[in-house]
Amino acid sequence: MTAGGHTLTAFDQDLNELRGLIVEMGSFAEAAIEEAMRCLVQRDAAAARELVAGDQQLDDLEAEAERRVVELIALRAPMADDLRDVVASLKIAGVVERIGDYAKNIARRVRRLPKRATLEPLSLLPEMAKIAQEMVHNSLIAFAERDPELARAVCARDDALDDFYEVILRTLVTYMMENPQNIGPSTTLLFVAKNLERIGDHATNIAETAHYAATGDQLADQPQ
Amino acid sequence: MMELMERRQLSPILAGLPPKIDIRGVDFFYGKSQALKGVDLAVPANAVTAIIGPSGCGKSTLLRAINRIYELYPEQWATGEILIDGRNVLERRYSLSALRRAVGMVFQKPTPFSTSIRNNVAFALSYFERLSKAELADRIEDALRQAALWDEVKDKLNASALSLSGGQQQRLCIARTLAVRPEIILLDEPTSALDPISTARIEELIHELRQRFTIVIVTHNMQQAARVSQRTAFFHLGELVEVGDTTQIFTNPHVPRTQDYITGRYG
Repeated sequence: MTAGGHTLTAFDQDLNELRGLIVEMGSFAEAAIEEAMRCLVQRDAAAARELVAGDQQLDDLEAEAERRVVELIALRAPMADDLRDVVASLKIAGVVERIGDYAKNIARRVRRLPKRATLEPLSLLPEMAKIAQEMVHNSLIAFAERDPELARAVCARDDALDDFYEVILRTLVTYMMENPQNIGPSTTLLFVAKNLERIGDHATNIAETAHYAATGDQLADQPQ
Repeated sequence: MMELMERRQLSPILAGLPPKIDIRGVDFFYGKSQALKGVDLAVPANAVTAIIGPSGCGKSTLLRAINRIYELYPEQWATGEILIDGRNVLERRYSLSALRRAVGMVFQKPTPFSTSIRNNVAFALSYFERLSKAELADRIEDALRQAALWDEVKDKLNASALSLSGGQQQRLCIARTLAVRPEIILLDEPTSALDPISTARIEELIHELRQRFTIVIVTHNMQQAARVSQRTAFFHLGELVEVGDTTQIFTNPHVPRTQDYITGRYG
């Protein structure tokens, strides 16, 4: 973006508010991932139920972002980087809402885990969640600060998350083969790992959109 | 998918066709003040090229240079080359009459002559060509049809052109321009004095006409440039700042000055 603001300052305000709304959605989704993992590790079923119910707030924020985008396009006719920004906001809002759904899915699994049994792979999941959460965080920073380099870095990190998923998958399969009683809880953890892996994919989507908004170039077209 | 590929294909110029109008190193002077500075611009055939930019940037001056209207004023002159189909029209020996026939122009305010609708269209035709009565009638109808005005005026061709609405008058001016079968049409803010419905009709007309003509439109309305053109050129302080496919200029301009202007951060 060039240094100066718009001649029409209300336009700047609209754009800033929209951007703020997207960042707020991102923070909400990040917090949801963290809380879902805490509930899982501590078997906190009550808090997990609250988290599931709270997802509605994220849906409401998405609807608000959508409303503002339509309004901005209708009233301000944004062009060039402004247009890319507005369209990116709409796309990112949808993706962040999906990330919230994955966090909700993780929280739903909490009651399926036995209260006391120790499951070794459970210790790996918070690490994986941390990477996914950081990817979400950084992808939104890349959008908010128009930082294409950070967007690239987020995309590059997705491989690490995929590798993590493979390791957990193999560990869980071994676990299930050792003792059929492990099959139930292991399947639950497998779903959680898959959800985290999907969150990483969505963070990558956000980063790609952020890159396009900032530069006008699709990340997929760029030499990696 | 194929359709998508086609829509993303390169503009006619980039596809290697020679430009219809090739403007090379054009400077323009109003007395001591220079209004155009070393303008190089290739205008493709069968496409609409929009010229945008703030007031005083040289947009209208460029149109004036293309059809040499400036020659009517002693203190105005242009240097450089404007090639139409490879021939430099700025050269004295290029006949002004041939140029006027090849290049039609429509102005901001509708300028119908104070005579009948029929005579408005017939006037230029009789100037350039000797036609029988029947031929003349055909050509008038043809021009009015092309300008999407025929159905509205066919029963009152002898009525005064001044009795038409602003939008109709502007379409009459376009019909008058089309009647002599030009190759190039220059439009200088053709809809700035019109209401949205008349504007939409003119834009639809421009869209249809571009199949057969080379069109250059100067407009202050960025949305209009985006709607009607395939190429867009941004002028600022007499210089051509950036030219590109309209989709590129409005989604991803490469020059910060262009970006500032089209996003409303200018000045």
